[in-house]
Amino acid sequence: MTARRAALALATLAACDGAPRAPAPGGDTTVADRTSNAYSLPAPNLAPAELDRHLAGDVGFDATFVRGPAPINPGLGPLYNHNACAACHGKDGRGLPMFAPTGSQALVRVSLADGTPELPGAPVPVPGLGGQLQDHGVFGVPAEVAIELAWTERTGRYGDGTPYQLRAPTLALRHPDGGALDPAILTSFRQAPAVFGLGLLEAIPDAALEAAADPADRDGDGISGRVNQVWDVDAGAVRIGRFGHKAGNPTLVQQAAAAYANDMGVTSRRFGGDAEVDDAVVAATAFYTATLGVPARAPGDVAAGEARFDAFGCAACHTPLQTSGPHPIAALAEQTFAPYTDLLLHDLGPDLADQRPEFQADGREWRTPPLWGLGLVATVLPGASYLHDGRARTVAEAILWHGGEAEAARERFRTASAAERAELLRFLSAL
Amino acid sequence: MTARLLAALPALALAACGDGGTTSPGFTDHQVIADFADRVVIPTYALLDERAAALHDAALALRAAPTPANLTAAQAAWVATRVPWEQSEGFLFGPVSAQGFDPAMDSWPVDRTDLEAVIASSDPLTATYVRNLPETQKGFHAIEYLVFGEARDRVATDLDARELEYLTGLTHELTTVTAALEASWTTGAPAYRDVFATAGAAGNTAYPSLDAAAQEILVGMSGICDEVANGKIADPYDAHDPNLVESQYSYNSILDFADNLRSVENAYTGDVPAAGSTGRGLDEVVRAIDPALDARFRAELADAIAKIQAIPDPFRDAITTPAAYPAIEAAQAAIRTVQTTIDGDLTASVR
Repeated sequence: MTARRAALALATLAACDGAPRAPAPGGDTTVADRTSNAYSLPAPNLAPAELDRHLAGDVGFDATFVRGPAPINPGLGPLYNHNACAACHGKDGRGLPMFAPTGSQALVRVSLADGTPELPGAPVPVPGLGGQLQDHGVFGVPAEVAIELAWTERTGRYGDGTPYQLRAPTLALRHPDGGALDPAILTSFRQAPAVFGLGLLEAIPDAALEAAADPADRDGDGISGRVNQVWDVDAGAVRIGRFGHKAGNPTLVQQAAAAYANDMGVTSRRFGGDAEVDDAVVAATAFYTATLGVPARAPGDVAAGEARFDAFGCAACHTPLQTSGPHPIAALAEQTFAPYTDLLLHDLGPDLADQRPEFQADGREWRTPPLWGLGLVATVLPGASYLHDGRARTVAEAILWHGGEAEAARERFRTASAAERAELLRFLSAL
Repeated sequence: MTARLLAALPALALAACGDGGTTSPGFTDHQVIADFADRVVIPTYALLDERAAALHDAALALRAAPTPANLTAAQAAWVATRVPWEQSEGFLFGPVSAQGFDPAMDSWPVDRTDLEAVIASSDPLTATYVRNLPETQKGFHAIEYLVFGEARDRVATDLDARELEYLTGLTHELTTVTAALEASWTTGAPAYRDVFATAGAAGNTAYPSLDAAAQEILVGMSGICDEVANGKIADPYDAHDPNLVESQYSYNSILDFADNLRSVENAYTGDVPAAGSTGRGLDEVVRAIDPALDARFRAELADAIAKIQAIPDPFRDAITTPAAYPAIEAAQAAIRTVQTTIDGDLTASVR
């Protein structure tokens, strides 16, 4: 047995002269750490056996795959994007928007507008390419494409005249023979999201998500969140989607299995036929991401910025509080926590649109990402950036890209005074 | 690579009182933070770069004349380069992880299937070609495999021209990575030295307080202890599986572990003896408050290093030799003692 020391429970930190305070970001899974390791700590309320399982999953999450045969970690490829979970979700955080010969931390999903999907309701795979472009192959196996990423700058002004710059990505996708990808193929460029706190998101009851949805905008607030309805391969049925930039996966187990298969070329029972990793490995990886704790907020008073968050309308989609229901992992059940997401799909406008549907999500919709831990991005992964494709170099840029249902909120931010904008950003940096 | 990072810092006290609660200022010694960047991190990376260049020179000499003496020299240069790298693993934050320098140098396991396939091919091994190879076919352990063989049994005359060409391609690529790692702290916009050493300055979002920077140092120290005791030693030992041992080709594992603990010592003292660098460390802060704690912690560190060195070499054999088990477990226990002190008394003391 090892002398394992789980992060201390937030209760220890709450001795605050009786002052009212917001719920801890991850409820009892909150970890008291604001260092570069803040995303990598197990939830402090795990039972000993759960902590053991978490640690086993940690080993799997870090495992670097190689081409078989090999004494350890065989199964990479033959086509892949990178060789380890942690290679893209570095320090359990987000990846960088980068494609490199040595391994890519971002990826491009592909599909056809018409045809027959492999799973009911899923995007239609591209013959010969499937649903995701693999830009690497093991030795002697040509990659499907070479991906070149370029950025185009554009300028704008805040309401007070202060200029700002944004950058938009352009991808050049070429087959090994140099030919360009068929332009009829729909593409979606995405960077890897952070993986902590995910079990709490899995534990939000379906009914709560459905109750928050307002597909026809009956309340007339301009916000029409929708649940994605996706195929659950274990249930053999349609379920609510929660994970992925368009909520295309219903469970962490399915998300993990799909990532093994599509990102690393490591097959398992659910995806790809012959199992290069068994169910236990996939389950352990899912368990690991389910049970990573959520960092506590930074010290300091950011109440003014939090009020702006509400007043600007950010909280209409970035729902501050959620409550979990029952969950097989006791540490995750019946928690009140602050993820700042409704897990619903929203139209973010034409500038962010990928024009590639995924189950019920249309080409302009994205799932609201959680904002917890946002203020630690620069500490955990200096140089990391924001939004689904990493185009936003700062949180302010990310806000300025919001359109569609979020346009009114963005405009309130854009036309606010510099002091008000700074207040909001100070609040977000404390998350 | 990634530490298992279980240690929480009880004294971190993120005074979760968002409104009106009082917070202690915490750690306020700016010199310790600046010296950590300038006198610990940068000198360690500079030494790594210097020794990687010497390793490349040794590989070139071996390629020019694959003699036993040149092979021995290349092996010694590999071991010497390993020292500053392992002594940097107590501070794996910032560009080393975010910009991928760690996997570019230290991926494990080696993809021997594809490494052999590249060598067997007729692909020209240009610098660009080698740079673009996957990380599992490059770096310390691929070089280690070539110069030490599968079980420290390499014979110079076994290396053919193609293997020697591949070797020098790898050592050259290693020097570009070590140079870029050092540069990431010293130049660029921003140099990471400026991010860390300006902790607490207005607009520093990565380290909004000196306290946050001090916590980063302490978490790194704790994290590498956890990684060595509960990962690098425990994973292969618990499974009694030599395949899980890092640096298994060179039999260098025990030196690796000891240098990991020296990384903790360097982070604590603000000094890097191997690089001839000295600075103001956390030890001076601790001594001013609790000299007995400082003395105890130093003794615990020395004990942990001694117990690691007492594991019978090579580690990959020790994990399947029952007579060696007590020494392995004693080393683990000593490292955990160091970690417990970091997480508890030391953290409480410096705040």
